[in-house]
Amino acid sequence: MSQGMTRREFIQKGLTIVAMGSTAPSFLTRTALVMANPFDIAQVTSRPGVPDDHVLVVVQMGGGNDGLNTLVPFSDDAYYRARPRLAIPRQEVIQVSSEFGLHPKMGKFKEMLDRGVAAVIQGVGYPNPNRSHFKSMEIWHTADPEGRVMRVGWIGRYFDSKCPVCVEPTAGVNIGSSLPLAMKADGGQGVTLENPDTFQWLPSLEGVGAREERELFKLLNAPAPNEPGTIDFLRHTAMNAVLSSDRVREAVRQYKGGIDYPNNRFSYSMRLIAQMIAGRLPTKVYYAHMTGFDTHASQQGVHDTLLEQLSSGVDAFYRDLEAQGNADRVLVVAFSEFGRRVAENGSAGTDHGTAAPMFVFGKRVRPGIHGRQPSLTDLTDGDLRHGVDFRSVYATVLDQWLGADPSKILGSEFERVPFLQ
Amino acid sequence: MAQHLAKFVPSATNPWDRTKAAHLLNRAGFGGRGDEVDRMTRLGPDAAVDELVNYNRVPESVSLPDFSSLRTVWESLARLYQQRAPENERFQARVIAIRADNQKFQEVREWWVGRMIQTRRPLQEKMVLFWHGLLVSGRPETRLSENLFIQNELFRRNALGNFKEMISSIAKDPAMLEYLDNESNRKGRPNENFARELLELFTVGIGNYTEQDIKEAARAFTGWTRRGYEFFFNAAQHDDGPKTFLGRTGNLDGSDIIDIIFEQPATLRFLPRRLFEYFAYLRPEESLVEQMAEVFRQNQFQVAPLVRKILSSQAFYSPVAMRSQVKSPAQLVVGTARLLDVDPGQTPALTRAMDLMGQALMFPPNVGGWPRGESWITTATILLRYNFSGLLLTGGMPGVARRPASRPPVPAGAVRMLDGCRTAGEAVNRLTDGLVAGSLDATRRGALVRALGASDPQLSFAPSGADADRLRSALHLLLCSPEYQMA
Repeated sequence: MSQGMTRREFIQKGLTIVAMGSTAPSFLTRTALVMANPFDIAQVTSRPGVPDDHVLVVVQMGGGNDGLNTLVPFSDDAYYRARPRLAIPRQEVIQVSSEFGLHPKMGKFKEMLDRGVAAVIQGVGYPNPNRSHFKSMEIWHTADPEGRVMRVGWIGRYFDSKCPVCVEPTAGVNIGSSLPLAMKADGGQGVTLENPDTFQWLPSLEGVGAREERELFKLLNAPAPNEPGTIDFLRHTAMNAVLSSDRVREAVRQYKGGIDYPNNRFSYSMRLIAQMIAGRLPTKVYYAHMTGFDTHASQQGVHDTLLEQLSSGVDAFYRDLEAQGNADRVLVVAFSEFGRRVAENGSAGTDHGTAAPMFVFGKRVRPGIHGRQPSLTDLTDGDLRHGVDFRSVYATVLDQWLGADPSKILGSEFERVPFLQ
Repeated sequence: MAQHLAKFVPSATNPWDRTKAAHLLNRAGFGGRGDEVDRMTRLGPDAAVDELVNYNRVPESVSLPDFSSLRTVWESLARLYQQRAPENERFQARVIAIRADNQKFQEVREWWVGRMIQTRRPLQEKMVLFWHGLLVSGRPETRLSENLFIQNELFRRNALGNFKEMISSIAKDPAMLEYLDNESNRKGRPNENFARELLELFTVGIGNYTEQDIKEAARAFTGWTRRGYEFFFNAAQHDDGPKTFLGRTGNLDGSDIIDIIFEQPATLRFLPRRLFEYFAYLRPEESLVEQMAEVFRQNQFQVAPLVRKILSSQAFYSPVAMRSQVKSPAQLVVGTARLLDVDPGQTPALTRAMDLMGQALMFPPNVGGWPRGESWITTATILLRYNFSGLLLTGGMPGVARRPASRPPVPAGAVRMLDGCRTAGEAVNRLTDGLVAGSLDATRRGALVRALGASDPQLSFAPSGADADRLRSALHLLLCSPEYQMA
């Protein structure tokens, strides 16, 4: 595999010399520490007009969220005709406009809308929609609707564009056990962790012995030239893990937040991200996951719970950021690989569909509803026709939030969607 | 160099040796101890593969999980519903049943891990794991742990059997009917979930069907449901109208769909590719896939001859294949437990460790199954994999168990590797031979010598008198190496 620029070269040079030459493990440790010395991202500059301390949080709603039961077109009879069992009754919808309303479990979302810190982008999709979870997810991650096989994702390409913080090992932090394709970069793997407790390496010995064991560990894991790709990849990942583990654990340790989060996995991820933001970790993009949106059968209960978790989790996160004084710096973008079929199936569920709404949260969003709801009667194979290309949303985020040039990262120009102030 | 499916024939320049025997045991099983590698080396490649493939000749006695009391719990809940018992009574009974099922679920997973560790039929268990990763079912969608066990036994029974029979069985398998919702696939408003994944993930693969084919196949599987732990065909919910699937029209039902799928050239290539990637290396050359498809066709979808062919091929023993595979968490955990003779009492902790590394058995990330190759490795999982070594050597692992004040004994398998060795250098060589097939360079071996407390590899080292903490430290470092993550 093509190995990284800056930080990998540094690791290679800094650590290889030691690995290949006479052993000087304490020097090795120092080198690692110098390299891991975090710098304050507020000090760096990229582009006039876009502050450099901006942070993006991507929330992936895995499985295909039923957009029509999330932002409900309650004034459209076609919705009620297509969904005799699953449609949300008009009187239960949390009204947002004369045509649309939120799912009844999204009260917290509505409060955020009212406070002016949330927005919906309707009808987001892409041409020739793919209804495979895996292919469509790949398309969203690589920003390539033609579905060509790619090793790097759109966020990864942003990292590769070498924004000042992007060279940091922790430029991208994913909460989970596997790194999303979106974050894969030529310049190296991002950091992924499940929780700070398990995100550390422990020597077998204690005390003085442990110190020496740590030094020998670095010797065994230090990258060396001309090694087979996978071994080299393993060594780089191990070194990144050990270096970023200290930083992440330190950042998290410092923060004592006073905000209560709901008790579920997604909220746990958001809380961890808030802690890392508070700890001034040099990170541009965080990534959190929700799963379970693939509601082919008995949709209602599951979908209720998920939307409740999404709204209340993001709400707690936002209040946490406000308490920290970081609300200005953070934008949350939530997406799913596709929406679901307009008509319900016979299992009180919905099958794979196409276009769906995206959600954005933050102090700098232009609140309300953006984009346009696709027609519920003018369908292609029973599915909605998208009005907004998801790459327009990416382009807006890259350009107006991250200060990067979207055309380089996305391969061509896309219209901006005016959801940011 | 073009890879070939032709048989590997040992020669003076490319002999059958311990390295190749160890490779075979790694890939067709969960790795081998020194004495097992020696025995396979003596057998030669043909007899070695024969023994692995013909596992039915090897007796295997295992006790199975007992579901009788759990069944009783579920049945009494069902009775409360039939009798229209008050809601609070039903609620309490439901909580009890779910709790009992969760407990059994954990027991079944641990039973399976234990079976992989203890089996004398490594290839059979390796295939069970393969099928579970391909024909995916699991929690939370599949609720009944007994159904997951029934499916696990199907994979075991038909581990090297016929692929078409496997697909026919899985289409009627209760856990799968639950997992992909076919149990509620009804006439008039079909549910596409199973039909889609049958095509996309289980047989022909993406690009070999249209959205319309999915819709038609979904209609054909209407009424294929279950009653508790068994398949049930509900004729009243079956759509027996005409359908057109992959160009064929008729009053097709689920079996017809499977027949048509097995007439597709893509199906002939699909499973061989997946098997080859499982055993040998990822992204095989297309010419190789074509050769395997031909073998598969000649053998009418029998898996055993195909697996035998792969395990005997030049490609399998080529440099591209040897020590190129990232161990899955199951491979890492089960293999280590077998190699080091880990106490069976540790099985629950081992299962938990595997979960944290990203391979929660019977609880897959999604219908696509597990990651593969380098995708197993992230900054999160590499630390978990390394700390797993700590679990075995110190008794503690973050996220699994707090490190106890006193250390467990050095694992018996490691002590055995060092039997009779006299110097620190020799000790390190024994350990690297036994654990990473010798793939560690001189500098790194030097680090292990230092960990043993020796400044020079020539210094004497006696396993009996050795400082157990030093030995643990060296072992820990070796298990916490990139080399140990590969097989």
